[in-house]
Amino acid sequence: MMLTVQDFLQIDFPAMLAALFATVSCGLLGNFLVLRRQSLMGDAISHAVLPGIVLGFLLAGSRATWPIFLGALGAAIVAAILIELVRRFGRVEPGTAMGVVFSIMFAGGLVLMEQAAAHSVDLDAECVLYGQLEDILWLEATGWGSLIDPVALAGMPREVGTLAVITAITVAGVALFYKELKITSFDPALATTLGIPATVFHFGLMLMVGAVAVAAFEAVGSILVIAMFICPAAAARMLTDRLVLQLWLSVLLAAIAAIGGYLVAAFGPFLVGGEHSLAASGMIAVMTGILMGLSVLFAPRYGVVSRKLRERRGEAGLETADLA
Amino acid sequence: MGFSNVFSPRGRVGAFRGTVLGVIASAMLMLAPSQGKAETTLSVIATTGMIGDVVRNVAGERAEVRQLMGAGVDPHLYKATRSDIAGMLRADVVFYNGLLLEGKMTDALVRVATAGKPVFAVTELIDQEYLLEPPEFEGLQDPHVWMDPSAWKKAVEVIRDRLAEVDPEYASQYEDNAKVYLSELDKLDAYAEASLKSIPDSQRLLVTAHDAFNYFGQRYAFEVMGIQGMSTESEAGVKRIEELVNVLVERDVPAVFVESTIPDRNVRALIAGASARGHEVVIGGELFSDAMGAPGSYEGTYLGMIDHNVTTLVRALGGDAPERGLNGKLAAR
Repeated sequence: MMLTVQDFLQIDFPAMLAALFATVSCGLLGNFLVLRRQSLMGDAISHAVLPGIVLGFLLAGSRATWPIFLGALGAAIVAAILIELVRRFGRVEPGTAMGVVFSIMFAGGLVLMEQAAAHSVDLDAECVLYGQLEDILWLEATGWGSLIDPVALAGMPREVGTLAVITAITVAGVALFYKELKITSFDPALATTLGIPATVFHFGLMLMVGAVAVAAFEAVGSILVIAMFICPAAAARMLTDRLVLQLWLSVLLAAIAAIGGYLVAAFGPFLVGGEHSLAASGMIAVMTGILMGLSVLFAPRYGVVSRKLRERRGEAGLETADLA
Repeated sequence: MGFSNVFSPRGRVGAFRGTVLGVIASAMLMLAPSQGKAETTLSVIATTGMIGDVVRNVAGERAEVRQLMGAGVDPHLYKATRSDIAGMLRADVVFYNGLLLEGKMTDALVRVATAGKPVFAVTELIDQEYLLEPPEFEGLQDPHVWMDPSAWKKAVEVIRDRLAEVDPEYASQYEDNAKVYLSELDKLDAYAEASLKSIPDSQRLLVTAHDAFNYFGQRYAFEVMGIQGMSTESEAGVKRIEELVNVLVERDVPAVFVESTIPDRNVRALIAGASARGHEVVIGGELFSDAMGAPGSYEGTYLGMIDHNVTTLVRALGGDAPERGLNGKLAAR
């Protein structure tokens, strides 16, 4: 089995591209979720969109992108509002509010889906939960030249196009509203006194999270999306105190997880004598976890290892000071 | 290995790209198994074991057959991996069941087919009138046609004709092999018909884990009931279990059956349910529904699989069948 340029372009390139876009856009938004201590919002939203997806599917009668996407966005908004309401009026902590809302909405989605299954088997819980990166094929590719050939590029799978657009919007949104996002994340009260509507940004962020979660769920599945939201951002947070640097680092880590995870899943088993590739989306999520673990251990300032080393050095320093 | 010179690095970006590809390419070289003889044999990919087995019988030595789903794998739930996709893109012919049996692979199969690969559904020749449309699936047909050997003959014909089309040089060989194999299927069909007839009329009821046996029931005048629906995706409702327990008790059914690809949890629930109402039901045996038995064994072939199902069924429901089946090759129990 030789990897030809054509094979690479047909099978691996589009899947890696989809994975890259999905992880980068999730990773970038994840920074603000982590800063707001709302990491689980990614989890909540990505599950809560299910009823919207099913409704969009039922109303449109097909797996066309737009109805599903709009349904999901609607559900994301509903979920964000419900979480806010439950938190305020239910007198519970935010985590509880999220847990209540997303699990109920997800359950509603499952019930709807069983109903939808009566009409078609085209939509099922598993493809929503786990995604299928391997199905993203670019069969029009014949060689490197295809990358600049508009005819061949037109055959690029829809998922890649959707994810590219979403990623562009995410990056542009974060770049444009960087200052506002930063202030509302760190100090919503200050933001309000400065005339920045924290609530608007909160819901704006939730909307983006919903959009990204939906675009990514087809490729990597809605459970694994959670890893993409949290891990790169949390890992980057361990590495630096500067927000700009953290954003760049999270994007870099997300990209490493996407490409590295894909390559390990696709080719790793063959290197150790296996015969079948592994599921790429799962391996990518594992990769984000490994990166997170590494930065918890070895981050220069906050890492466990470096702190221990510093403590020891500090104690040693004290002892010599005592002796002197 | 100096792969970077192949990609003639221009500046840092080029060098980086060269290195990445170099690493991948050298990884691929290390694992390259013997694909060199691809010139002399036809490389065929089959999704399920049943299809792979037919291809092996029809093509003989001429084809190297790779089946994607192994023994005990549930085709409704199987997802294609990267190596499967790469294999399909590289194969000379791809055969799949169709009728949405390969639920999770449908997208991949369609995409590979649109790329101009010869991808064929072995059920394409089967009469629309023959196909069953279960009421719970509007407009969708039951994919489990291999359960009826007389219908599966159509699949043999598709495989024979399509192989001849792709590889005309060996057409007569395919023709001869198919003839022999089709007569084996006729024998199997006759055996099934005769031995199933020996089951008393009141007991001609087959209760299994999912709805895989409808064609079987249609062919041999057998009533079939599955706990789960057509696809193993949907879970059985409590109501369904209750209905079936009622049937078991009322009709005094002696045995129910488990399937090799499906956990037996639901079937055990049935037995417990019937037992709570004072009716003892046993597990009549394990049937092969969506996948064949262990590779290399007789049950690991299509003939053996159906032989095993028929023989197990007949003996558990009070009919007459030789213990070792039609060909005397079934594993002794």
